Amino acid sequence: MANSLIILLVIGLPWAGALVVWLVGDRRPGWQHRLAVLFSAAAAVVATVLLFGATDRPVLTIPLGPVFGDMTFIPDGLAALLTAIAAIIGCLAVIFSMDYMRGEQQLGRYYALVLFFIGAMIGLVLSGSLLQMFFFWEITALCSYALISFNNDDPKAVAGGIKALVVTTLGGVGLLIGALVIVGYTGSYQIADFLAQAHTLPADVLALIAFGFLLAAAAKSAQFPFQTWLPGAMEAPSPISALIHAATMVNAGVYLLFRFYPAFAAVPNWTAAVTLVGLASVLLAGLMALAAHDLKRALAFSTISQLGYMVYAIGAGGLFASQFHLLSHAVFKALLFLAAGAVIHAAGTRDMRLMGGLGQKMPLVRAVFVIGALALAGVPILNGFWSKELVLEAGLVSDTPWVIGAILGAGLTALYTARMIGLVFHGQPRSELPAHDAPPAMRFSLVVLAAGALTTWLLVGPLSALFARTLSAVYGIHALTLLEMIEEVLATPATWLVLLLVALGFAAWQQRSWLAGLAKALAPIAWVASHDFGFEWLNRQIVRVTMGTAEVTRITQTGVLGWNVVGIIGGLIVVLALLVLVWGA
Amino acid sequence: MTDTALQIIVIGVLGLVGVGLYGLLAVRNLIKVIVALQIAVKGVLLGLVAAGMASGQPNLGESLAVTVIVADTIVAVVGLALAVQVRRHVGTLDIKALSSLQR
Amino acid sequence: MEAWLAILLIGAVLCAIMAIRSARLLAAAIWLAGVSALVSLVLYLLGAQIIAVIELSVGAGLVTVLFVFAINIAGEEAMDLRGLVPEPLAVVLVGVAAIMLGWMVLPALGVIPPLAESPFSELLWQDRGLDILVQIVLIFAGVIGVLGLIGEAPRAVPAHPPGEAELEAGSESLKEIEA
Repeated sequence: MANSLIILLVIGLPWAGALVVWLVGDRRPGWQHRLAVLFSAAAAVVATVLLFGATDRPVLTIPLGPVFGDMTFIPDGLAALLTAIAAIIGCLAVIFSMDYMRGEQQLGRYYALVLFFIGAMIGLVLSGSLLQMFFFWEITALCSYALISFNNDDPKAVAGGIKALVVTTLGGVGLLIGALVIVGYTGSYQIADFLAQAHTLPADVLALIAFGFLLAAAAKSAQFPFQTWLPGAMEAPSPISALIHAATMVNAGVYLLFRFYPAFAAVPNWTAAVTLVGLASVLLAGLMALAAHDLKRALAFSTISQLGYMVYAIGAGGLFASQFHLLSHAVFKALLFLAAGAVIHAAGTRDMRLMGGLGQKMPLVRAVFVIGALALAGVPILNGFWSKELVLEAGLVSDTPWVIGAILGAGLTALYTARMIGLVFHGQPRSELPAHDAPPAMRFSLVVLAAGALTTWLLVGPLSALFARTLSAVYGIHALTLLEMIEEVLATPATWLVLLLVALGFAAWQQRSWLAGLAKALAPIAWVASHDFGFEWLNRQIVRVTMGTAEVTRITQTGVLGWNVVGIIGGLIVVLALLVLVWGA
Repeated sequence: MTDTALQIIVIGVLGLVGVGLYGLLAVRNLIKVIVALQIAVKGVLLGLVAAGMASGQPNLGESLAVTVIVADTIVAVVGLALAVQVRRHVGTLDIKALSSLQR
Repeated sequence: MEAWLAILLIGAVLCAIMAIRSARLLAAAIWLAGVSALVSLVLYLLGAQIIAVIELSVGAGLVTVLFVFAINIAGEEAMDLRGLVPEPLAVVLVGVAAIMLGWMVLPALGVIPPLAESPFSELLWQDRGLDILVQIVLIFAGVIGVLGLIGEAPRAVPAHPPGEAELEAGSESLKEIEA
């Protein structure tokens, strides 16, 4: 059964590993690789054990005194699932790194941050207290920043990291404001207390909290209109991309929306806003993926688009569907990023226009990439198909016209997926690239994930039973067996429509020479999409204004300690004088 | 504790914090900056304990004082480590020369 | 007891002034140890024995050792002692702030009898549990700091005061460290 030791281990093992790997020092890279794999594998095993011991009661409580409430860790079904995803996919990314990072400098920093990141994500999902959740939330932001700019002599990497940090911290402010208001009104830090008392809060206050949390979730999960940080995060080493896109980070936003859904569902327009944020992300990011030339950028846009489906599902009330798609996505997207990493590692470029015909040289990578890509496109019987159908079904049940957009998005997904496979692995080589198949550690991670992409949908029965057992009281989730799911999916007409669209998407790529005229007509859209729909421009303007203001106020920052202290003492005198004036009057 | 004793201590606290702040304004050597910071914090430490006693909660004041001592020691340690590294890499401890914000 | 308190505190403030004014770093560190020792005596007189002992061993002992150690590695540096802020401004500012505070606080002071309170150890370990956790994190940061202090092999330090060009190069390398 779940007990406090398991909780301590599942967070403590990665963090202890981070410390040990860092202390071993960069002079012994072999040990660093081995220890990192050892600790992350141990965490993955413990996380698997935790899945069987899920409960909706706090199993570890650390008292922090009367002022700050207690630290509580609650491994309910949702938390246990996300813990398992973070630990297991994280472990596979670490194993992949053994080959990918071989011979790189500063492995200690790399592995320490990766393990710290995994532990923080696990802590975040297990948190039962708002204060604690905020801490872990910000630790994940910090780790993602540090890992995205891991190659810190590359200005692009540093800029990407800072962008991620600024955007996600902005979202963190939304979380902080919401959490502070909750504590102010309910007097408790416990999430469970808030969910139970949410209906007693004044409507406008609840709306403030709800939209603050939506801001936080959209920034963290790179949803519209905060999607711009995720493509910038592509400067990170590929295993890091897999980690951020599949195992940790972006899942946190979807998790947050799920966790607080029962409290916010009644807030006017909140579910509509969530639905629209998700849908806008699905469609915009899908178009951008179609226009991207960089393999990893295309994958990043597809992540935004798929996260959009999860957010959309939550807006439509399909809570379980969103988490089921999260699981599928975590598996196939980690697979895609790691396979893309193997391609980039071998070819030395990320530009898809320079690739082509790599399939013959790296058959295994092509095979697993295609499996992942077909899962992404939602081709039966891969895991992405089932979970995406569940999401769309939730959209149909919610009875809003937006589901049409989501269905169109599925066709778009198929089109950009086909384009990716075609450009990278098929056709004639467009330049001489050194390609070789993946080395053994990479191959291990890839094969495990490919097997996952083929099979995780079979877990729907136990998983939904787990959710129903631990979450039905507050979230009202019912168990769904495998047969029921298959029946439901096949009986929905939307499924066949989606399959038709997916087929059309693939066919459109096959017959793209026939559609050249259409493509030409759509060129302006492609141009706008390849310029991120102007969001990059908007970002630059914001940065420009901020920097301009900073230049003006720079005069107050002399950089001389003495003058800073003068400012502090002067401030003290002003405050005292104000007190005297107020008291004296 | 009597009211007079409390007043003496508050004057002493003001003296120590004042000297510490004056030190931050008057010194240029990075290590001396840390010395000045330490002096100010000693004053604050005394003030916390005295405030705890004067308000009838001596144990609360003392438990906060423990935190202050820990934080203060660590500030000294990290500050000194920084000073040593700065001296190694830059060759000076003069905070004027170290300022990189100036143009 | 008041007289003792007054004497000890005057001594502490004098030590503090000497620590700021002394030209040699080593002497400043010793004067600082004096401040710490006198403050811990005051704490002892007040009845806060535990804090007094911690302050004496950590503040006067450990920190002084670290100072001496760091000064030995970094070396004394002949330096123009004038501050970066005009001396009169510094004195006036600090004086004004201290006098205003004293003028506002001193007349309002009054000791109230002890309230019912949990014992020290319980208060420290349970009621202020978050403090303890934060302290653990801080100590961890301190350990990293010490590793930084002694970890790297010492490099040759220029014997003469650095010229303008070297300072320029120095601030460049500082930026690199930050990056």
